[in-house]
Amino acid sequence: MSNPFDINGGACVAMVGKDCVAIACDLRLGMQSLTISNNFPKIFNYAPSTYLGLTGLATDVNTVSDLFRYKVNMYRLREERDIAPQTLANLVSSSLYEKRFGPYFVSPVIAGINPTTGKPFICGFDSIGCIDFAKDFIVSGTASDQLFGTCEGLWEPDLAPEDLFETISQALLSAVDRDALSGWGAQVYIIEKDKVTQRLLKGRQD
Amino acid sequence: MEVLLGIAGKDFVILAASKAAMRGPTVLKAEDDKTRQLNKHTVMAFSGESGDTVQFAEYIQANAALYSMRNDTELSPSAVANFVRGELARSLRSRSPYTVNLLLGGIDPVTEKPHLYWVDYLASLAPLPYAAHGYAQYYCLSILDKHHHPDCSLEEGLALLTLCTDELKRRLPIDYKGMLVKVVTKDGVREIPVDNDKVVRSA
Amino acid sequence: MTSLMGNHSGTIGYSFSEPTSANVKQHSFYPYTDNGGSTLGITGADFAILAGDTRSTSGYNINSRMVPKVFKIGGDDETGEGANIILSVVGFAADGNALKEKLDTMVRMYKYQHGKSMSVGACAQRLSTILYEKRFFPYYVHAILAGLDEEGVGALYSYDPVGSYEREQCRAAGAASSLIMPFLDNQVNSKNQYIPGSGEGHALVPKKAEPLDKETATKLVKDAFTSAVERHIEVGDGLQLVIVTREGIEEVFHALKQD
Repeated sequence: MSNPFDINGGACVAMVGKDCVAIACDLRLGMQSLTISNNFPKIFNYAPSTYLGLTGLATDVNTVSDLFRYKVNMYRLREERDIAPQTLANLVSSSLYEKRFGPYFVSPVIAGINPTTGKPFICGFDSIGCIDFAKDFIVSGTASDQLFGTCEGLWEPDLAPEDLFETISQALLSAVDRDALSGWGAQVYIIEKDKVTQRLLKGRQD
Repeated sequence: MEVLLGIAGKDFVILAASKAAMRGPTVLKAEDDKTRQLNKHTVMAFSGESGDTVQFAEYIQANAALYSMRNDTELSPSAVANFVRGELARSLRSRSPYTVNLLLGGIDPVTEKPHLYWVDYLASLAPLPYAAHGYAQYYCLSILDKHHHPDCSLEEGLALLTLCTDELKRRLPIDYKGMLVKVVTKDGVREIPVDNDKVVRSA
Repeated sequence: MTSLMGNHSGTIGYSFSEPTSANVKQHSFYPYTDNGGSTLGITGADFAILAGDTRSTSGYNINSRMVPKVFKIGGDDETGEGANIILSVVGFAADGNALKEKLDTMVRMYKYQHGKSMSVGACAQRLSTILYEKRFFPYYVHAILAGLDEEGVGALYSYDPVGSYEREQCRAAGAASSLIMPFLDNQVNSKNQYIPGSGEGHALVPKKAEPLDKETATKLVKDAFTSAVERHIEVGDGLQLVIVTREGIEEVFHALKQD
């Protein structure tokens, strides 16, 4: 109840496909059992094909997303190029570890395609910046147990963009329907090289 | 038992705050103003720990005024909201955080579109079509869910507010001494006189 | 030491107060253990499946890799022959065994007294009563009961530890239930699935949940468990599959990862 990760609720998942990646989140913002908003996206865009998902305490979702907008803008000005997902991963890791003894209560997820190699990349973090590199999928939020189940059951290697969209959407929707603190619609991004598709899913409104 | 309500419509935002200043079960004042105007097109309503509330609100008010004076321009509602959130978030991880819940309403002077922001004491920020703080959430959000639509007129908005305040009068065990209602339109902020003496009988 | 103790409330610094304030140990007995593992049941038009992993744990220790969680109810003492009802229990294994024994006895007594087998519906109600009898010192288990109903259709009942129960198409219980249940919602009850091209937005027609055939259901059970084994440390070692059909009860074991 007083666990900061469980106050506002929310879920996020990223998956790898064939020459594409997908990242999706739910849209709920709550205070314990009371839903405050059904339009609170948890995925943020930092470069044409680099996305960051943030679940956990809503205030820290706001703070951390703003902080990285600042840091990535500074990076782009200094380097005169877009940030790669791998670079963002290391930036997120070191920024979170800076707050080792008073952490931001967030569980970040990164999904993107490396602009130079064209290779898909996903990873996840704990709240103090330990990176979890995964070849298949990353889950986070109050529905993470449910997401582990659905992703492990539905995901398969080398999915084409449209199949990856169907897989990540079914995995997320089914997972959040079994979590009281997540749901109320979802947002899905399918990231291909030089193309990003954003879709809004209605899902159950309860 | 402090009541904060906000409703955004087609070209306006209504902010309403209860007029009772309370300390425990005692009503200390019946004409309390829990709102502050931040610039020509933005108002903020606040509730929470007494002392913190006014202190924080007037700190924000002063800084918004300072910005307007220095730059000879006004911050948009979204800019104010993000500034307010930033200050509250900074305070949250300090030695003595402000315990303040806020509603922030305004009209963007450029687009003339209404904006309503909900901010809690943890500095979570959410843009919403309608919002409430405190016990009012449990009584009013369901009413607003059913009756609100985003392009409603000011008259419809005020009727919706009456629907909410009637329910509060009916169900809250303590008299909150009526509401102070402020409306933001493209012409600025004005107070709307409301009949707070209306008696609502319980079912 | 005595002078230091003078500050404590209730001790005035008597020398004999020292031994009592030092080395005081409180002992307590907690009557429950969580033995981990997971179970799962799916029904179809003419069958019911109950499955469970065979790992038994306490904390991070593995007690055994071969402790079945699914039992035949009302059959022969040794072989379980003649049974037409199955029960799975997960949670505290000792309570699970006690519960199984009690229900088994009840069902066999019924047969001796009435000269006919108990129906699953009746057995389901009896199990609820048994669980509720211990309302204030419960059997710490999530039970699932399965069999064929009077029409020969697969029947499955799931229980909470104090006897609330419900007939369902499928149910996961135990340590990995939160992983398996949403997968089942999607694959068995077709939740969140729509008929392609049936309309736009709200006009989309939801896909109806069709009763599964035995082979598909068995495949889903195996998929669900291999997935759960990957992500839950308390699930693994072996998979016990018990299937009730008109022909009787079939029991098979499959290997699961032992890590």
